[in-house]
Amino acid sequence: MSTNNGNGTAATGGPIGKSVKRVEDKRFTMGHGKFTDDIVLPGQTYAAFVRSQYAHAKILSVDTSAAKAMPGVVAIYTGADVAAVNGVPCGWQVNFKNGNAMKEPKHPLLVADKTRHVGDAIAIVIAESIEEAFDAAQTVNVEYEELPCVVDAFKATQPGAPLVHDDVPNNICYDWALGNPIEEVNAAMSSAAHVTTLEFINQRLVPNAIEPRCYNSSYDAINDKYTLYTSTQNPHVIRLLMCAFVLGIPEHKVRVISYDVGGGFGSKIFHYTEEALLTWCTKQLGRPVKWTAERKESFVLDAHGRDHITKAEMGFDSGGKIVALRVKTYANLGAYLSTFGSCVPTYLHGTLMQGLYTTPKINIDVTAVFTHTTAVDAYRGAGRPEATYLLERLMDLAAHEMKIDPAELRFRNFIPPFDGVNQPGYQTQVALQYDSGNYHAALEKGLEMLGYEDFRKAQKESANNGKLLGVGFSTYIEACGIAPSAVVGSLGARAGLFEFGQIRVQPTGKVTVYTGAHSHGQGHETTFAQVVADKLGISMDDVEIVHGDTEKIGFGMGTYGSRSIAVGGTAIVKSIEKVIEKGKKIAAHLLEASADDIDFANGNFTVKGTDKSIAFGNVALTAYVPHNYPKDLEPGLDFSSFYDPANFTYPFGCHIAVVEVDKETGKVALKRFIAVDDFGNIINPMIVEGQVHGGVAQGVGQALFEGAEYNEHGQLVNASYMDYCMPRADDFPIFETATQVTPCPHNPLGVKGAGEAGAIGSTPAVVNAVIDALWSGGHEVKDIRMPLTSERVWRAMQN
Amino acid sequence: MELKGRHTVKANPATLWTMLMDTDTLSKIVPGISRLEKTGDNSYKSVLEIKMGPVSGSFTGNLEMEDIEEQKGFTLKVQQNSSIGNANAAIKIELVPVNADETEVAFDGGAKVTGLLASMGQRILGSVANMLTKQFFANLERELQTRVSA
Repeated sequence: MSTNNGNGTAATGGPIGKSVKRVEDKRFTMGHGKFTDDIVLPGQTYAAFVRSQYAHAKILSVDTSAAKAMPGVVAIYTGADVAAVNGVPCGWQVNFKNGNAMKEPKHPLLVADKTRHVGDAIAIVIAESIEEAFDAAQTVNVEYEELPCVVDAFKATQPGAPLVHDDVPNNICYDWALGNPIEEVNAAMSSAAHVTTLEFINQRLVPNAIEPRCYNSSYDAINDKYTLYTSTQNPHVIRLLMCAFVLGIPEHKVRVISYDVGGGFGSKIFHYTEEALLTWCTKQLGRPVKWTAERKESFVLDAHGRDHITKAEMGFDSGGKIVALRVKTYANLGAYLSTFGSCVPTYLHGTLMQGLYTTPKINIDVTAVFTHTTAVDAYRGAGRPEATYLLERLMDLAAHEMKIDPAELRFRNFIPPFDGVNQPGYQTQVALQYDSGNYHAALEKGLEMLGYEDFRKAQKESANNGKLLGVGFSTYIEACGIAPSAVVGSLGARAGLFEFGQIRVQPTGKVTVYTGAHSHGQGHETTFAQVVADKLGISMDDVEIVHGDTEKIGFGMGTYGSRSIAVGGTAIVKSIEKVIEKGKKIAAHLLEASADDIDFANGNFTVKGTDKSIAFGNVALTAYVPHNYPKDLEPGLDFSSFYDPANFTYPFGCHIAVVEVDKETGKVALKRFIAVDDFGNIINPMIVEGQVHGGVAQGVGQALFEGAEYNEHGQLVNASYMDYCMPRADDFPIFETATQVTPCPHNPLGVKGAGEAGAIGSTPAVVNAVIDALWSGGHEVKDIRMPLTSERVWRAMQN
Repeated sequence: MELKGRHTVKANPATLWTMLMDTDTLSKIVPGISRLEKTGDNSYKSVLEIKMGPVSGSFTGNLEMEDIEEQKGFTLKVQQNSSIGNANAAIKIELVPVNADETEVAFDGGAKVTGLLASMGQRILGSVANMLTKQFFANLERELQTRVSA
């Protein structure tokens, strides 16, 4: 609720740092959003899929003859028809410890031989109407021979486990390790006075974007041009992957458009088979083809999140200082490698094992495994929530075991404050160098908001009235602003993750901004306009943000990994700097001064030390009507920039949960949630607070409610909103939020990014609080499997 | 999913056996059945209409009786397909005489389901199975009554 605007941003009294209401909400709240499913093209056809009911089965035959005779059917294609087309690619190569490349089995657009998870696509039925497509798809007869399946990542690696891909022994995609040599870590661990060990499952989650995935692909034979409307977080990335790796179409022949998108949370980063298949189909038919996922398809097809089986050990000396961390994780990748499936459990997870602590020896070992389940990839936080969960659960558990206060244990182990300017960045044991941090201050602020001493008194009293009170801490860090090309390129990323931003000043001084970032709920049209209006000293009404169209925007890497303001925002700022520099030359000519003597502030170019000035709008007009103009200058005022960050950004903070556990039933009630976050400088505090609220809701959802459950036959048994428990508003107290500001030293806005923190920090805080409540009632419980249902908590209290 | 239970019926094993081996009787007592066609000595083709909470469908498939021991029991193999999912079951059925007029029918087996049945129906599958079992025995008893009064 309190927000500071630190240094690093313009102190002009401009829009930066103000809680400006979101400009995009007018169209959303009035029902005028433009989503992919709203688009109906001339000659539109509709697709429905025939999908596998079995987790693992040989396809003996696919009989489409009855379906082809159904009314309205335009075409039906099966795996045999697209056998020669490439599968969808993975964007990040991770190598085995021995240097061999990871196993990358083909992910075909339609399967012909075998199905490898429930929902695997066997045939696409295209018809004049969606109803006719559904009806016809029902009559496609598939003969299966069911095969044994495996859904658990650890069991899949054991001898004799059914293979997902015949050419991937033991279902292992890769094994991988990071940190100090294991011998050093083992030695440090054996010297420890106390070792806390935790074995746990970070359960699989379904992303549940409110707008189901939707694609509409069309082909213009006269011009040999494709247009793909898609509900994605990164249209340029989709164009690149689909054109270059799957269909072999030149990129300039494909336009990818992604207008409004109703939530992604990571699940709409990836290039899905349906996007490429529809684009392949439209050329065969010469008619546009549209597919909108049904909710039941979203459950079994949108890449899932998390699903780690982990054993973690943290060693402490007698003073409670961490001496070593050793981690072994089995990461479930699902049946196929999704676009970033390989990097989530490794470079977005292993690299965060330092946390906020000075741990001198760290080793993490990850085995990534194929199973007969839906693919797993980035979901809000992507690897970093798993890392935070691991570390923060260990810290609170260690505090209980060693009888040290959990806040005190953290204070003893925090990396001391550093701003990245006067003090260098902090070099971790796991590859990253943190940019700036002040971890003590965040926890101190959180404890103050909690009223820690009073809480502990109340906790003692509560045990008498049938309730157990508990508090849980989570002091998290994340790596955002994804991603510096040189760093990620050396780690196996197949593309750098810079960003593009263009400022087109119109002759009247109005500004159109083209950004490669993509908004699917983040409020870019507001935040970016605030930056531009502030820097150019113009009204936000004079700024238009354009995103989501490969033909309008030079390039783009899209939005994920809390990167939009830190990377996309900086690309825009770089272009603004170029506009101002050229504007100074034009102003100098008009004001008969030297460009070096021109200042730009509050929308005016002024000769230093004089009152001679000219407004931004007049300079813009002169650039397009250059009658009186410098001889050596081109007309126009339009600049673009590519910005490749020097480092990740490292937001951090302190999340504290207070829960009440019913002794009789095990029911958990979340009573308070405190979030102190440090995102560096903040452009729009209200939007940032909204991001924190949404993230916390998802993180608490994982702790208490959500979890994708596969049975032993590979069936996802809770694939509907009647069976999969989503968090609801009445599950939450009013969140108590605060921010502190430690600016990012390596980007001009000093920003770090705020999209994922809520989901990263909150989950362990809630679980820790429940464990604390149980310890306060005399139940010395190490772990309760998430989600913490009443039954699981009750059972934990019975032992 | 586990299918297990026992129920005592007012009939001797010989009467029960005759009924269970008769296509017409089975069509009357198996819940949801809309067509039953004998395709071999111990096999049938069937169409069943069943509603399970949010999902309902028309199932077509085969019923087969194996390990038949006259008047003592058999194993019923069920393979049913539908647009909402497939079901496979193997159920061992035993007839145990309680006294001269009563027989206990014990059944024990498991079923495996796929598709929507698995992803949306799983939660209520157990109670649907219980209800269908109850209906089966209620139908069986009604059929016995009819025979007695006839």
